Amino acid sequence: MFRTVVSIIIVLIAAGCSNEEPARKLYTEVKSVDKLLLAQMTVTKMASVDDVSIDDAKGMKQTIAALADAVKIGDRKAAYSYSTYIRAYMDLSELQPSNLLVDDRRKTIVLNLPDVKTEFAGRDMEIKEEHYRVSGLRSNIRPEERAALKEKMNTQLKKEVRENPEFQEKLEAQARGKAKSYFTSLLGRDGYEVIVNFKSPSL
Amino acid sequence: MKSVRIIIVSVIVILAVLSGCALYYMWKTSPDVSRSTIYDAKITDISPMLQLCSVEILEDVPIKASVGSRHLFASMAVRGSISFDIDDLEMEEKGDTLIVKLPREIVEIRESTEPGSYKVIDTWNDKLLGSSRFTTAEENLAKAKVRDNYRRSLYKRGYVSRARKEASVNLTNMLSAVTGRTVIVTD
Repeated sequence: MFRTVVSIIIVLIAAGCSNEEPARKLYTEVKSVDKLLLAQMTVTKMASVDDVSIDDAKGMKQTIAALADAVKIGDRKAAYSYSTYIRAYMDLSELQPSNLLVDDRRKTIVLNLPDVKTEFAGRDMEIKEEHYRVSGLRSNIRPEERAALKEKMNTQLKKEVRENPEFQEKLEAQARGKAKSYFTSLLGRDGYEVIVNFKSPSL
Repeated sequence: MKSVRIIIVSVIVILAVLSGCALYYMWKTSPDVSRSTIYDAKITDISPMLQLCSVEILEDVPIKASVGSRHLFASMAVRGSISFDIDDLEMEEKGDTLIVKLPREIVEIRESTEPGSYKVIDTWNDKLLGSSRFTTAEENLAKAKVRDNYRRSLYKRGYVSRARKEASVNLTNMLSAVTGRTVIVTD
């Protein structure tokens, strides 16, 4: 009987130890790249926090929420903004000596550059509080709510950039112009004409 | 008399079930409640640049901040990059050789735009019934400190010296490919 009780206790202790959660591993990725950054676009996103208005309420859920907000004492209004950065670059690992063609007879230098690509280069860590007015018995806007709002803003911004080609076109035009002027000034010598071409994006 | 009562009860039950279904349908199909309005994105700046980027880092960083008895714990995905401004390089020609000096590095640290890059895990107050609220300014200050510490850690962990070595190789390859000359990059 005593042996059985001791065995049970040992099993329970062992089970208790094995239930310990492993320490959470944080993600780290360090990669070597060979990018020539040519242009950067700053895109600002703004959002506001406010009660649901009875006039604007659509459907049952919003009407109930609007009625609940209407009876609360005080106001809860705020506006936040932050910037996201998109940059245009060229992958220089795609550049080979064969991309440069020199014609001494015609006095021309032809440089075939890789295609210009774009990527999100992060966003501001800080969020800018444009307006904040919480009065009466209303609850303050907490960090969790701001983080969730930033997440929603980020999702919408990415959708806008994906769906509106204007963002990419403007940035790529600026990047191609910069690459052209740089390589023309670097290669232009002894009366040679420099022709800079860009590889078209592969579909 | 009994059959009339059964009919009335049945009608009431059927009406109750139908109204329940109608209410459920209205609830399910009505738009969700959102107390936030998100406005269209605005392009505030487009600037040309000429930088050679040799190292990129994506890392989860914990944020621990305290103001008096109030505390905040959050996690943030940080996106770092180490680049070199090559727009105005110091170049010297020695015969057919081009000698180039690698400029000072530009270390950029921002929050990632990947989904779920910033999450507030916990906020609390050591005092019983004390508010655990962090203002935007307090939260921003905590993030700025994280950025400064992270920048120092990139130097400490040798990522910057690695970026400089790789940038020297990349710059040599680029300049020799486009000029067709021998290029030596000095650091």
